[in-house]
Amino acid sequence: MSPIIEARTLTRRFGGIVAVRDLDFAVGHGELVGLIGPNGSGKTTTINLLTGHLSPDAGHIFVRGARADGLAPSAFAALRVGRTFQITQLFSRMSVLENMLVPGLARPHSHRAQATREARQHLEFLGLAALENMQAKNLSGGQQKLLELGRALMLDPEILFLDEPFAGVNPYLRDEIIGLVRRLHAGGRTFVIVDHDIEALQRLVHRMVVMSRGEKIADGTVAAVREDQEVLRAYAGV
Amino acid sequence: MTDYLLIQALNGVVIGIIYAVIAAGLTVIFSILKVVNFAHGEVFMMGGYFAYFAISLAGVPPLPAILVAMAISFIMSIAIERTLLTPLYSPTIERKGDYGILITFGISIFLRNLALIIYGPYPLRPPSFWSGALVIGGLIMTWDRVFAGAAGILMLVGLVLFMNRTAWGEALNAVSQSRESAAIVGIDDQRFYMLAFGLGGALAGGAGALVGPIYSLSPSMGLLPDTQAFAIVILGGMGSVGGSIIAGLMIGVAESMFVALFPDPSRSLTYAQAFSLLVLMVVLLIRPTGFFGRVHTAME
Amino acid sequence: MRALLAVGAAVLAALVLGFPYLVNAYWLSVGVLAIFYAIVAASWALLAGYAGQFSFGHMAFVSLGAYTSGLLVVSFGVPIPLGIAAGIVMCALVGSGIGFVCLRMRGPYLALFTVAFSEVLRIVIVSENEVTGGSGGLEVPPMFHIKSDMPYYYLGLVLLGASLAIMLALVHSRWGLFFRAIRENEEAAAASGVKVVRFRIIAFAISSSFAGLAGGFFGHYIAILTPDIGSVDQMGLVVAMAVIGGAESIVAVTIGALGLEFLVEALRSYGQWRLVLFGALLLLTMRFARNGLLALGWEYAKAILPLSLWEGVGGRGRGLNMTNPSPSPRSASQPEPTRGGGVS
Repeated sequence: MSPIIEARTLTRRFGGIVAVRDLDFAVGHGELVGLIGPNGSGKTTTINLLTGHLSPDAGHIFVRGARADGLAPSAFAALRVGRTFQITQLFSRMSVLENMLVPGLARPHSHRAQATREARQHLEFLGLAALENMQAKNLSGGQQKLLELGRALMLDPEILFLDEPFAGVNPYLRDEIIGLVRRLHAGGRTFVIVDHDIEALQRLVHRMVVMSRGEKIADGTVAAVREDQEVLRAYAGV
Repeated sequence: MTDYLLIQALNGVVIGIIYAVIAAGLTVIFSILKVVNFAHGEVFMMGGYFAYFAISLAGVPPLPAILVAMAISFIMSIAIERTLLTPLYSPTIERKGDYGILITFGISIFLRNLALIIYGPYPLRPPSFWSGALVIGGLIMTWDRVFAGAAGILMLVGLVLFMNRTAWGEALNAVSQSRESAAIVGIDDQRFYMLAFGLGGALAGGAGALVGPIYSLSPSMGLLPDTQAFAIVILGGMGSVGGSIIAGLMIGVAESMFVALFPDPSRSLTYAQAFSLLVLMVVLLIRPTGFFGRVHTAME
Repeated sequence: MRALLAVGAAVLAALVLGFPYLVNAYWLSVGVLAIFYAIVAASWALLAGYAGQFSFGHMAFVSLGAYTSGLLVVSFGVPIPLGIAAGIVMCALVGSGIGFVCLRMRGPYLALFTVAFSEVLRIVIVSENEVTGGSGGLEVPPMFHIKSDMPYYYLGLVLLGASLAIMLALVHSRWGLFFRAIRENEEAAAASGVKVVRFRIIAFAISSSFAGLAGGFFGHYIAILTPDIGSVDQMGLVVAMAVIGGAESIVAVTIGALGLEFLVEALRSYGQWRLVLFGALLLLTMRFARNGLLALGWEYAKAILPLSLWEGVGGRGRGLNMTNPSPSPRSASQPEPTRGGGVS
């Protein structure tokens, strides 16, 4: 089966620094991928490239086989590629429901009634239903993370990039997020998760990709990567 | 003909130095408070009037009046900063960017109308620093202009020395690079915001005092410098005082040459005003970079 | 409560419709001016307060609308309604253009660029005085050849009503949601599928069109156009009206504009001081009551009057502020411990 999203020889520079170098990366339908690496390895840049927030200096991106590099983030969203951010980016002064309705109504052929129903379903799933009318900025940190996930879900995404979903999150919430991701994955959604919490990722994902200094240095099952000498060196060295 | 062009160019250098002083003050404010100050031109205007009234009401001689104007501008700027700008660094205020834009725009409107009432709408001309003109061969320049150029250079040198050689100046540099780091090292933020805004205002006010005898004073004379100064700051590299100086000179000379060479003399003066505005627009189109790049008062 | 509101609304409607019969000619002209400012301020608030694009070039579009219509009518004998329509189209086009070139500009840079644009336009109008009449002004035919301002007042009411209806419909539609999303967080909006580029341009186009409409209306009312229509000081007045009214609510801004214009005239005997007063009021409002004075008044009214009265009024805590479902004078963010530098 052809991959949902694929990067070929992707490169991106910032000034003199090569953040991502010659990256080949493909994600197929139904995968649960963890993306790890030391700080500065280019993980977030990769997500930004694969969701349109950054454009590559070289290389190509394919979404379901069609060229997608250079498209705006909203185009990626329309292609059902969803993402969350390292630091939650909510619409602070809009209510929880309104936050959900923005992507809901941005979808073509959407109706307010139907979008509202969907939004409420997702909020119910995330445990945020009671907070529907609360301003996003008044939510707790954990609730904000969940809302951001909900917002991405409103795109009915085929693939979801989660950028450090476990960062600064208490163990209880972390387990909750793991549970939610498992259920969403069982429901047919594909995930690529970037995080530093390797232990949490190992419990969750099937496949692990490791980056270091902008390059992919390992890509395989969790067990294989755990033994990989180069990976150990990368983490120890930096 | 070339004599005329040369005189224009030299006038351009003088006005360029004045622009540089104004822009340098704006750079200090911008790099430390991180705010786009729409009211800078009004402080420039006020400085001119402060000098005028120091001379006419208090009998201060024209040269010391410049210092008086700078001092009062300094105090006025600090008063503005303390009363209206503190929300910019408060952790609980939202949308600081919007606030900065609106509040400084409001200050600009307020000061301009205040000036209109207090000083009246008719232009005032303070007495010359030095009457007569400097004549070298075919070149003539009034002593006022020569003096303005020289005094402007002194102010710029003073600023650079202050920023690089004094403890306060280095602290300002530190704060401009990173507020948090400076706070950790023990540099008390609030006093340095006051200092930065006051310093920027003093420079603008000083420039106004220098310009008074040359171009005379009116309450709306700050309108053009409001945006002009930004053209220079952005051209000069956003936060580099040295860059502002060079850009200021460039704009000053370019503007003068524009007036000299524009084919239609009846329109040259009015369109000259648009010159720096167009420069600003073009620069913003090409380099619309956001605030928080490497913005600090570096002396290149 | 409902009955009280209905009566109140009826009384208000009667006052508004009967206004020309209740006041003398001078105050009637003030009324027309107030309506003009209301349309300008509301359309600015739509762009700046609602969509978050702080353009200070709004008055340039008022000027552009007025001069486009005026010049077409004077030079080519175009009928006035067509002239005004042309002015609106011109503003929509130029507004879209400005929105497009400003796409990569954030906040203060957008403000700077639009101020510069506004001043350049004003300078061009002043300089090309053979065509535009320059500072001396351009005489244009008035819409109605009657001495009284009554037809202007009623036409203005219709235009204001229509403009408000369109703007409010927009605000409550999904487009309004997208504008607010762009204002709150452009990156997140893009990631949510909002076509940011398109909507920023649309916001400019719509806002400028209303400004052009107001300009055309004003031009053929005053019957003489001057470059000052597009001056920075006029922009300041409009900004003051919007901020004092409460920049994120179209209705509040309209009320603010109407109120302030009448206040300006009422204080005419104080001469120039009233503009200083407005400047001060603008600064105080920004500093201490950021949601605008109307929202502040609403909050205090709610605090003073018993809660039961408010149950019937559009639900708890909505107030006039459309953005903020539960507004409060002290915004509900938890105060964070300050670091190092102390409290301001």
